[in-house]
Amino acid sequence: MTKRDLFEMQNKLFWKLIFSTLCLGLSSSLMGQSNTASSSGIPNNAGPVYEDILQGFDDPSRWLTFSGDYSGKRHSPLQQITPENVDQLRPLWTFQTGTTTRGRGFETSPLMDDGILYVTGSNNFAWAIDARTGRSFWQYRRDLPNDLTYGASAPVNRGFGMLGNQLFMVTLDAHLVSFDRRTGDVLWDIQLADYKTGYSATLAPLVLDDKVIVGISGGEYATRGFIDAYDPATGEQIWRFHTIPALGEPGSETWPPDPEVLSRGGGGTWMNGSYDPDLNLIYWGVGNPNPDYFGDTRLGDNLYSNSLVALDADTGELKWHYQFTPHDINDWDSNHMPVLADIEWNGQDRRVVMVGNRNGFFYVLDRVSGELLLGKPFTATSWAREIGADGRPIVLNDGSKGCLPDPWGSTNFMPPSFYPDLDLFILTARETCATFVPEEPRYVTGQSSFGGVVFIDGEQGSGALRALDVHTGELRWEFTYPSPTFGGVMTTAAGLVFAGDHEGNFMAFDVESGKNLWHYQTGSRIWGAAATTYLLDGKQHVLIPSGTTLTAFALPD
Amino acid sequence: MISLSISFVRNKSRDEVSSVCSAIAAIAFVFLANLSQAQGVNPLEYDPRAAQAGGAIFRAQCATCHGADARGIDSIDAPDLTLIWARQTTTDASVFETIKEGVAGSIMPPHQNPDPEIWMTVSYLRSIAVSGTNETVVGNADRGRNMFIENCSRCHRVDGAGGSLGPDLSTITGRRSLASLVNSLREPSSSIGRRFKPVSLTTATNERVQGTVKSEDAFSVQLMDSEQVLRAFNKTELIQFTREADSLMPVFSESALTEADVNDILSYLQSRRGRRLSI
Repeated sequence: MTKRDLFEMQNKLFWKLIFSTLCLGLSSSLMGQSNTASSSGIPNNAGPVYEDILQGFDDPSRWLTFSGDYSGKRHSPLQQITPENVDQLRPLWTFQTGTTTRGRGFETSPLMDDGILYVTGSNNFAWAIDARTGRSFWQYRRDLPNDLTYGASAPVNRGFGMLGNQLFMVTLDAHLVSFDRRTGDVLWDIQLADYKTGYSATLAPLVLDDKVIVGISGGEYATRGFIDAYDPATGEQIWRFHTIPALGEPGSETWPPDPEVLSRGGGGTWMNGSYDPDLNLIYWGVGNPNPDYFGDTRLGDNLYSNSLVALDADTGELKWHYQFTPHDINDWDSNHMPVLADIEWNGQDRRVVMVGNRNGFFYVLDRVSGELLLGKPFTATSWAREIGADGRPIVLNDGSKGCLPDPWGSTNFMPPSFYPDLDLFILTARETCATFVPEEPRYVTGQSSFGGVVFIDGEQGSGALRALDVHTGELRWEFTYPSPTFGGVMTTAAGLVFAGDHEGNFMAFDVESGKNLWHYQTGSRIWGAAATTYLLDGKQHVLIPSGTTLTAFALPD
Repeated sequence: MISLSISFVRNKSRDEVSSVCSAIAAIAFVFLANLSQAQGVNPLEYDPRAAQAGGAIFRAQCATCHGADARGIDSIDAPDLTLIWARQTTTDASVFETIKEGVAGSIMPPHQNPDPEIWMTVSYLRSIAVSGTNETVVGNADRGRNMFIENCSRCHRVDGAGGSLGPDLSTITGRRSLASLVNSLREPSSSIGRRFKPVSLTTATNERVQGTVKSEDAFSVQLMDSEQVLRAFNKTELIQFTREADSLMPVFSESALTEADVNDILSYLQSRRGRRLSI
C-alpha cells in the first residue's frame, strides 16, 4: 500500500466514522437511548446499525455479516497483504474452542466490530473474543437436548448475525436465539420448528433493516423446508416462505397431487442467502427433495427443491425461481452462497447472480428477472454437459452409465469468491465417483429417509481450486489438491486468493496466475469455512477456522 | 430419465423392504413378548431374520456416513464397521451402546430407535464382519514361524516383533480370507493397503528414495522409506516424485514359496491370531 493509498483510506475512514456516528446517534435516539450514556449514566455503545451492514467493506475494520457484505462476493478491498509480501504472513494467536465436530468442520465466519470478534462454534458454543490477543470475553454453551436429530447433518454452525447490541444464532434444536453481545446473555429464544421431527439449523442469520432472515436444515428427513423472517427486537415471525408448495399452490403441479408427499418434500434452506437492497430481493438456495435418492414416489420436477429463489424481503413473496436440478435423485442440494455482481454482459450492464452448483455447473442468471445467461460445467461430471434452450440440463447419465459426482457434489456450501477486476468466479471443485442405489424408505418421524445408499469410490477422488471466467465459464487456472476438498475461498483487491484444503493447509494464491504463494498447515482440514479479513490498529489481519481452532494472521511489524 | 436397470433395482428393493418390514414386525413382537429391558446379550442372536432387518435399518440410517458397504468414509472419519469385531473390546453390548448413545463429541449421533431395531443392526454388523475364515489351515505352524522370520519379518510384525514397512499381521487371518492372503503373497501389487501405497522420489541431492506414503498434501509427503525410517519431503524440493504401481513387497512365486510353505506360514499366523472370531 502506498502512502497515498493509506492517506485515502484514513480519509475515507474518518468520514465513515463521522457518518457512522451520525447514524448511531439517529438510530439510538429512535430507540429512545442516548449514544454515549443512558440517563442512569450507564455507557451505551449501540453497535452497528443496518446502514453499517449495508456499507459492507467500505469500513474494512468491520466484518458485520457472513460474507462481509450482502453481495456474497467475499471480496475485500484491503491491499496491505500483497502477492509480494504474503509469504511473510505469520500466525498471531490461536483460539481453541474445546468443542469438536469430528467428521465435519469449524464452519463459522466470525463477525468483527470494534476490535471484538463474535464467533459461533460446533455444538452451539459461542464466544466474544479480543481480536488483539485471542482471549475470550465470554463463552456461551447451549444446553442441547440429548435426542437431537441434526437434520442428518452435523453439530456445526456458520456464524452470528448482528444488529446493534444484539447477536443472532440458530441452533441444532432448530431455535433462533438473540444474545446481548456485551455479555452473551440470551435476550430471546424462539422455536423455528420441532427438532424431533428432523429439523435443525446451522446457518448464519441474514440481518436486514428490521428483519432477521433464517433458513432450516432437515431435507434428509420427512420435513418441509422454509425461509423465515423475524423481528429482531422481539423474535416475532414476520413471514414464512415454504420451499415446497401446498397442494393447489403454484409449483405443486410438479409433484404428485398428494398432500402427504408435499408435506415431507424436503427442500432445506440451510445455507446463507444474499441480498440486493436496491431490488429489495433476497436470494436463497433450496436443498434436495426428500427422499434424497428415491424419486419414484415424487415424480415431477419437485419445485422449489434444488432451486435458487428470489423473495421480496418485506413479504417473503416469490419473485422468480430457477431450478438447477429438476427431480434430483442425487442429493445435490442447491444450498450455496448466491454471489451478486454488476457486470458487463455482451455490451450491456447486467445485475447478475452467480452460483457454482453441487450438480457440477456454474450458472449466471439475471437477478432482476431470473433469466439464465450461462450454465457451463466446471468439473468432469458425466451427468450433463450442457443446458438446453429450455433452461433445463440435458441429462446424459442418470447413473446408469457409470459413476456420478457423490452426494457432496461437485462443490458444496463452502463459500466461493468473485474477483471483480478480472471477472473471475473462484471456487473449490470436487471430482468424485459414486454409484447411487435407490430404495424406498420407511417414513418414521425423527428418522432420516435418504431412500437408498451410495457407493463412493474412495480411490477416485480429487479436489481443485478453480478460477472461472464468468462470461464463458471457462477455466482460467486451477490448483489441484490430493483429495476432494471442502474449504471456502476469499479474495482481496491486492490480487490474492485465500483458500483452505482438506489436508489442513491455509493458502494464498496469485489471482491472475493461480500460483501458490504461501501456505500454513493448520493441523485439521478446513471444512466449509472461508477466510475473513479486516483492519485492526491499521493493520490487515486474516482469520481462518480449522478443526477446533481459530487462527489470526498478519504481516510482521 | 430413469433407466430400466435402476428400475429393476428399485423393484427388487421394494420387495425387500416389504419383507424386511414384516420381519421387523415379527421379531419385534417376539422380542417384546419376551423381554422388557436392554441387556448385554443380543436377544436376537440366533434369529436369522434379524440381520436382514438390520441391513434395511443400516442402509436407511447408517450408510450415509459409514458407506453403503459399511467400509467407512475416510474423509469424514467414519470408521470401517466391518473391522470393529477384530478389536478385543468389541462386544454386541458395546456396539449396541455406541449406536444408542452415539459417540460424544463426534458426528455419530444417539439413536432413538426401539431397542429391538438396534439389536437388529448389531446382528447385521455381525453378519458383515470381515472375520477371515474359521477354517483351520493344515500346515506346520512351527516350520511356518521360521519361514515367516526368514521371508516376512523384515517388513511385517506379529505380536510386536518384526518390521513396519508392511501391515502388522498379528490378526490378519481374522480379517482376510485365506484365498486373499495367498493372493497377496503371489501378487502383492494386486491390492495395496491405503497406508502402504508405494512411491519413489529423487531429492535435490540426487538421493533416490523408495517408501510407502503415510500422509500427503499439496505441498509435502510423509513416508516410511525402505529402510523403515519415517521421512518427510517438500514436493517443490524434489527432482522426481512417482506413484508406483508395484508394491514394495517382493512377489513370492511357487519357486520361492511352495504351496506347503505358504500353508505353514498361514498356519503360524492363524496360531498367533489374537482372537478367534466366531459368530
